[in-house]
Formats: sequence, structure tokens, C-alpha cells
Amino acid sequence: MTRYGGLGRTRPKKLTSKASIPIVREHEIDLIDDEIQSTLQQIETGVEKAEESEFHLQAAINAAAQGKDKDAHIPTREVIVSDIQYAKLYPPIFSQPATYIRFSSTVEDCCGCPYNMNEEDDAWLRNYNSKRDASSQCSEDDFEATMNFFEETAQAKQPFAAVDSPPVLSFADMAESMDAAVEESVKRFAKDIYEHWKARRLTTENLPLEPMLKFETGQDTDDSDPFVCFRRREVRQIRKTRGRDAQSAEKLRRLRKELEEARQLVALVRQREIARKEMLGMDRTLFTQRNEVKEMKRKLNIKDDDEDLINQKPKKKTIEMPPRQPNAPQLRMPLKPGLQGAEDLQLLEDVQSEKENEILRDIKANIAKHIKWNEGFVDHTRAPLSPSPERTFDAAAFRPAFTAQLPTPPSSQSSSNVLDTSLDVTSPLFSKDKLASRALELHDEPHRMPSFRRRVGRGGRLFIDRRNLVARCKVELDPFKADRFKYDQEDSDEEPTYDTDAYSIQIMQHRAITMAKAREQAAVAAQAHAQAQAQAAQQRRLQADQAGNAPGANPVPNGVTVSSEAS
Amino acid sequence: MGVRDSGEVTGTPDPVERGLATINTITLGVKAMVQKDGELRKAEILSIRERKGGLSFYVHYVDFNKRLDEWVPAARIDLTQEVEWPRPEKADKKKSAATTKAPSKNVQKQQRADSREVSGTPDAFGSKNQNIARASRPSKAGGKENRDTPDISMIGSEAVSTVGTPKMMDSEDLEMTDAPLKDEVKTASGELITREEEIERLRTGGSMTQNPTEVHRVRNLTKLQMGKHDIEPWYFSPYPDSFSDVDLVYIDEFCLSYFDNYRAFERHRAKCTMVHPPGNEIYRDENISFFEVDGRRQRTWCRNLCLLSKLFLDHKTLYYDVDPFLFYCMCTRDDTGCHLVGYFSKEKDSAEGYNLACITTFPQFQRAGYGRLLIAMSYELSKREGKLGSPEKPLSDLGLLSYRRYWRETLVELLAEPNREAMSENELALLTSMTEKDIHETLLVNNMLRYHKGNWIIVLTDQVLDEHNKRLEKEKIKGSRRIDPVRLQWKPPVFTASSRTWNW
Repeated sequence: MTRYGGLGRTRPKKLTSKASIPIVREHEIDLIDDEIQSTLQQIETGVEKAEESEFHLQAAINAAAQGKDKDAHIPTREVIVSDIQYAKLYPPIFSQPATYIRFSSTVEDCCGCPYNMNEEDDAWLRNYNSKRDASSQCSEDDFEATMNFFEETAQAKQPFAAVDSPPVLSFADMAESMDAAVEESVKRFAKDIYEHWKARRLTTENLPLEPMLKFETGQDTDDSDPFVCFRRREVRQIRKTRGRDAQSAEKLRRLRKELEEARQLVALVRQREIARKEMLGMDRTLFTQRNEVKEMKRKLNIKDDDEDLINQKPKKKTIEMPPRQPNAPQLRMPLKPGLQGAEDLQLLEDVQSEKENEILRDIKANIAKHIKWNEGFVDHTRAPLSPSPERTFDAAAFRPAFTAQLPTPPSSQSSSNVLDTSLDVTSPLFSKDKLASRALELHDEPHRMPSFRRRVGRGGRLFIDRRNLVARCKVELDPFKADRFKYDQEDSDEEPTYDTDAYSIQIMQHRAITMAKAREQAAVAAQAHAQAQAQAAQQRRLQADQAGNAPGANPVPNGVTVSSEAS
Repeated sequence: MGVRDSGEVTGTPDPVERGLATINTITLGVKAMVQKDGELRKAEILSIRERKGGLSFYVHYVDFNKRLDEWVPAARIDLTQEVEWPRPEKADKKKSAATTKAPSKNVQKQQRADSREVSGTPDAFGSKNQNIARASRPSKAGGKENRDTPDISMIGSEAVSTVGTPKMMDSEDLEMTDAPLKDEVKTASGELITREEEIERLRTGGSMTQNPTEVHRVRNLTKLQMGKHDIEPWYFSPYPDSFSDVDLVYIDEFCLSYFDNYRAFERHRAKCTMVHPPGNEIYRDENISFFEVDGRRQRTWCRNLCLLSKLFLDHKTLYYDVDPFLFYCMCTRDDTGCHLVGYFSKEKDSAEGYNLACITTFPQFQRAGYGRLLIAMSYELSKREGKLGSPEKPLSDLGLLSYRRYWRETLVELLAEPNREAMSENELALLTSMTEKDIHETLLVNNMLRYHKGNWIIVLTDQVLDEHNKRLEKEKIKGSRRIDPVRLQWKPPVFTASSRTWNW
């Protein structure tokens, strides 16, 4: 189809769009080569095939190909200068703003009354006005407004007039539509102009007076009617994807929820209004009954302060004041009634202590919670938050271990130390905290004393339970090791077993201390010697403390290794 | 009224029957020699009316553009020569597929460009007539503003007069009974026909005037008054059908409203306050302004604009509404307002990558370089969008010439820049926002892309350089008529998904 010059019949290289093509002037190349080259190549013009061959177009294309653009002219129809009075029709009212114009009013916004009177209307109006005096003349604007009102009303009341050709709307129907929005002038002339309008409508077969474009009427003829234009477009199909589905599902869900909320709101409002209505009803009965009381009082000639007749407000006060009094403090912290008096003057320390109290309460509550959670379980973690289960024993069943033979715990200094550390070994800081000391309040004072109880188990077995020993022992044992042996023994239905390494340094130290103390007591005579011994023991114990993990001294003198179950 | 008695020609097997005719035997579809500008040209009779005592004939000159169709008195028809009688339908089938013609029934229907070769959706007549099967409804959602497929109005004249298949006739008969008869017949032939005549015409079957779609083969408006000019329209436009009867239709220059009555027009002018297209000004220089008008927001104005431009654009369709288009309107300014000189429309979201749908310079402003500015602006917008673009097809004859010229001049200007030694088509595309295809074809059309000694070269021919230099000189004297990108205050508008689906 296409012949290329230069290389005869060899197929030319493919030309890609990215390939850089050298640009040359015509005189720079060999003309002979190009003579063979012809522009036979078929290039789509983009013009309709049937029109491509048109005489003038071909002539113009050829002229353009020869560089004679001037001749490339296609004849068109005539345009002449109009003889209308342009200046009168188009007044010079435009002044260009300095900035670019921005404008959004529509044609309808700019054109005033859409009805425009024609010569026929003109003649009628002239005739009409000639019969009336100057004060009651109908202006062109009023006339157009009235006609427009008729047209619009007809359109609104007979929207399908183009299809089913109903009779012309009667004036009664028109009058019906005259609401407050209709201008006074329209109402004034409506009756007179109606006849004219009706006459004109009859000549157009009740079609709108202003020529209208043909739009879709929904009939079959629409499709082939060339006058029907500007049809509505169908919605373009949106491609469906999973994401879009999910999105719309989500939207629907949200919409549903919002509607539900609105519905509930309305339901609540309804409830409130019903309650209000009830209240009003009550008020009413109250009033009528009071009335009766009043009548009665008059009849019986009772004279008092009429308090029972005075309406709600004072009454309410008298009724509500008493219960309010006790209520009021309840709103405040019930814990510190002492502050009641200083209500006006808030002291910093009060506030602080209040905060402190709050914190304490919190802690207590939390601990209580923990205990509850761990009911039936033993917390084997290193620093259990919840106290060991022994604490939940009934304290009353225990009997303090006051025995003559048994030594009292060592004197205050060391013992308090021991207690503090024993409770929370891993974080000595916490034990120093005064909050911690408060937390200790949980344990009743007597519990510090070692105590015992005896009970009979299954099969008549005798048990002796001890208190205030285990906690310390538990701390002594290495939780990991304990865990290791946890299931080595047979399960016991009773309390869990706590294994300890009898040869752990801590325990041995502890034993040593207790032994030393026993000896100290025993050898009262040898004071000096005993003192030295005690000092040594003390030192060792301190060392143990510093070693960190061990509470060291056990105030319980007997030095028993800790197996809480004695069988 | 003797026009009707020639119905017997239909059914003749001979494809082209020739013979002498008299004024009274000439029917629609007859091709006769008609005097045109001092010479005789073959022309087809499209409509006949009786006016001022004599018959006049609406003729389409073979191989002339439809815009030159006109009413001629009987005297201009040369009856000394034989005429061609309209072909019966059997001949119609033999027509090559190249001159695709839609039957009149489907005039408003379109075919998508890509389905041109293959037959489109089968429709009611698909089995009967191959040609019909090709015409399918346009995708309703698509934003096309041009017709893709030739409809009856632009078919080569030979095809038009024929009746189509018998099946088709039947369906049209049915339609006729539904349609308000009076209007159509009157507007088609300009004369009033009684019901009996109507039925007779249908029975003999030679005439298609009743067919409403025939109506728009004939220009419906006689003359247009707009601004300072009286303009003869070129093509049919679906203005209210009563407008066909008046001699002069008045168009308000600013709001583009239309009136068939001077008094009404005058009254309207007294009230109308519009002085420029109802949109935002996006460009302004010493001579012109551009306004961007949204078809969705300014429905009335844009409809008016489309109706008006349809008078000058054969392939424009007003089948669907204006919502999916933006209208870029070029105006000249004076103290009465901004006068619309021309416009182009553009799809808000073109699936095919078109940067322009319809373009026209109104006839009173043609041949003054405005079309070039419109085209330049369309590419300037594409540059802002960072896209390549091409005008929607089909182009009209005038459109083709304007575009080819713009493309040539734009490319030559770039290629002739000093120190340019080589360029790829891709580079050219990026600089001009023209598509690579348009660039390639422009180079070929102008014989600038050649295969020389085993390599492709771009040749700046003496001819194009000459033209280029002349243009530069002219610009020096007259001042340049160009779009200055600096003065363009425009960002590509963004539309939400919902507004792009054109749901109301």
C-alpha cells in the first residue's frame, strides 16, 4: 500500500514514539530520493467517511497540501449585518472589573419574569388600559407577572398537559392557587387577564404560550422525534469491588445506627412529654383538691396560715429540706466528717490528706480485689500482690503462741525492719514508703504474733496450723525452685505444700540466729559472752539482709523449717 | 399537490432508473440537475412545499456539504435532462458498507466509534437489514457530544430516499398513528395536508416526509438574528417546532434565549441583565476573555448554547443533556458586555482522553483566527492538566482544516526553533499536549516525516518554513494572537464520584 523511497522495497525501520528523529531542512537532503516518496499513505482525517469526498473539503485539503492556505476555503452560508436597533436592545451597561469575573447566577436569575408579552398581548393590554383611568392601569410588568402566574399554575396543576391534553384550567382553580406569595398586583388583574389568557391557551391547544423545547415525555415516539432533546442520562455504572462493597455496607450500617439513635431520641422525648403531661394532670388534681380544701376551710371557718394552700415552691422546700440535710454530707467524702465544720475554709492539708485517703482507699480496694481474684489460688509470683491465703483464716480460731518457753520476738529495731522487708522483698523502696506501712494495716496487729490452732482432719488426723510463720518462709523459698517441685508430691486436699530447701544459706542462718538467741536466754549468767554472741548473730543477720533476698531473722524462736502442714 | 402520483416508482427492480420528469412528477428522493452559482449540479430533492403560488424544492447538492442545502424555485431545476428516480429498497442493500447509513428510524441513535467495524447491538431490524444493525444506541452514560455514526442527515445523497425494508415501513406506520400528525407533516414540507392525503401518502409509500426523522434533514430555521448580525443557519436544531414557521428567530446575545417574535424579544431584552457567559472568567487578554461554564450548574444557558451551536454543527447531538460537559466560551468585550464569539465543550471526565468535544466559532466571527485560539486554549488546558488530548471525532470539514493547520503550525514552530537537531514524537507530545498519533499523522500529511537512507528524518520543507516565516512577520505587524499561559487562571476542576455519575 505504501511505498517508501530510498531503499527500494526494503521495509523501513519501525518508528517508535520515543525514538529521536533528526530534523533537517529540505535543502539538506537528496531530493532525488524523495521524489519517489509519495504521500500516498492513508491517514485518517477524522471526518465522517461519507463527507470526506465532499468537493469543497477536497479542494481545501489539496490547497493546504500545496501551501495555499488562502485558497483552502469552504463556502458557508451568508451572514449579514442586521438592521435591528442594536444600541437600544443592548444598552452599554458593562464595565469590566479589574479582577477576573466570577459569576454563578443562572439565566433564570437574570431574566426577571419569564413570560414575555407579544403583539397580541400588547393589543389586548392597550385596549384594556384605554377603558380605565390612569390610577388603575395595568402595567406591562404586572401583565407579564399575571400571565406568568397563569402559566406556572397551569404547569403545576397539569404537568402532563403535553400528553393527555386536559381542558384549560378554570379561573376557580387559578384563584385556589393564589396564596400569600402571589403579588398583590397579580391578584388585582387576574380576573380580567384570565379571559385573555384562556383565549390564547385555546388557540395553542392548551399548550404553554411560550414556545418550549421538547423534552422526554416517556412515550415511544420520543426516540425518533428529532425535536426531543436533552434527555436525562442514566447513571454510569460504577465498577464493583470488594472494597466498595464493604464501604457501602459500612455506610449503611452507620446510617442505620444513626437513624436508630434518632429514633431513640424521639422515643425519649415522647416519654418526657408523657411524664410532663402526667405532672400537669397531677398539678391539676392538686389544684382542684386544694380548692376543695379551701372551700371546706371556709365552710368550717378554719383559720390558719393556709400553708396547705400555698403552691408548690414553699411546700417543696418544707418537704424536701429535711431529707436533704442528711443527704448533703453524703455527697462529700463520708470518711472525714471531721472536716464538716471547716467547709468554708479548705486547708491545703485537708486536701492533701483527702487525696492520700483516696489513694489508700484505692490501694485497699485493689488489694481486696486481688484477694478475691486469687481466692482458691496461691500466688507464687515473686512479689505477690495478694497476701498469702493464710491471712484469710479465721483469726479467732488461732491461739497466740504465748509460751513461757518460747522467746518473744527480738526487740523493736530489728523486728520492725524484718516486717517491712518481709512483706515486699523485691522492692525495698516500696517498703520504705509510708503508704506501704498503711497497707500493712490490713494485717491485724495480733497476727504478728505467731499463733497456732489445732484441728481434726479426715480420718481423725490431727493438724496443727501455724500462723505468721508461713509468710516469711514463703518468701525465703525460691519461687522457681518451688515451682519445680510443685507436683512432685502427692496432691493434698488440704493446703498446698511449700517446699523449702533446708540447707539454703538463708534458712541456715535463720536457724543459727534462733539458736543463738535461745542460747542467749539460757545462759543468763554468762552475760558478756552472750552479748558477744548476740552481736555476732546480729551482724550475720544484717549481712543476710543485705544479701537481698532473705528476711533473715525469724522472730519465732523455735527455728522450725517451714512446712505448714504438720501431720 | 400533484406530487403524490408518482408512487409507482417504488418497487422497480432497477437500481437507478432514469427518465424525464415534469415539475409535478418530481418526488422526494429524485435527483435532478439544479442550477447552482451559474452551473448545473446534481441535487436530491429532500422536501417540497408550496409557497407564494409556486412549488419550491429543498435540495441537497451531491458532494456538497449539507450546509449548502437550500430551497430552490422550480425554475432552477433543469427538466430537460433526465432525472434519477429514487432507488427501491432492494438496491439499498447492495450499498457498500463503507457508506454506512443508518435508516431513518435510527436517526438519533449512535454507534460507538469502536464498534464501527463490527455490527453493534442487534436491534429490532437487525435481521432484516444489515445497515440497520450497525446503528446502535449510544452508551447512555458516555459523555459524547458528537455523533459517531452517520445518520440519515449526512449520508451520501443516493441512499436517502429509499424506503428501507417493508418491515420498517410497518413500524413507522404504527408510529405515525401515535404521533401528532399535524406538526410533523407541516414542518417537513411546509404545507398543511389533510388526514386523507396523509394516509394516501403512506399507502403509496413513495414519500417519507411523514416520517418525523425526515424532518431534520431539512433546516428548520430560516434566519437567525443575534447580536449585530443576521445569520443563516446551516443545519437542523431542535428549537421549538413552531420556530420553523417564522422567518426570523431572535437570539439574545448574552443569555442565548430564543424568540420567534420581536416584541417578546424586546421585552426580554428590557429585563435581561446578563452581560457575559454565566461562569468564571479563566482567561483575559487585550482582545478576548474565556469563561468556564458548568453544564450542570448552568443548565439553561448551556442548553441554549447547544441549541445555537447545533445550527452550525452537523454532527453534534443534543440527544442527552449537558450535565457532563464544561463549556469554555470565548468572548470579545465592549461596553455592552462580553460577546460570545465561539466556544468549545469538554467532557468533565473523558474516558477516551478527548480534550474537546464540540467546537465552533459562530459564523459572524469566522475567518478571523478565533478558531485557532479556541483550539490553542483547549491544548493549554490539557497542558495544565498534564495530559495529552485530542478532539472528539468525527471532525467536521471546517474542524479538520482548522485542526490540521493548528497542528502543523504548532509543530513547525517547535521544530524550527534554533539549535533543535533531533526530537522524538514523544517529546513533541509532551511539549504540545497533542497526542503522539496526531503528531505522527500531521508530520505524514505534510510530508515532513520521511524515510531517508535507512533512517527516519523530519524534514522542514520549504513550504512549511515559508508559511511559518510569513506567520511570524504577520504577527510582528498585527500583534500576536496567542493564548498566554500566564494569563490563564485555571486549575483542573475536580468532580466527586457522585457528580461524575451524573445522577441528579
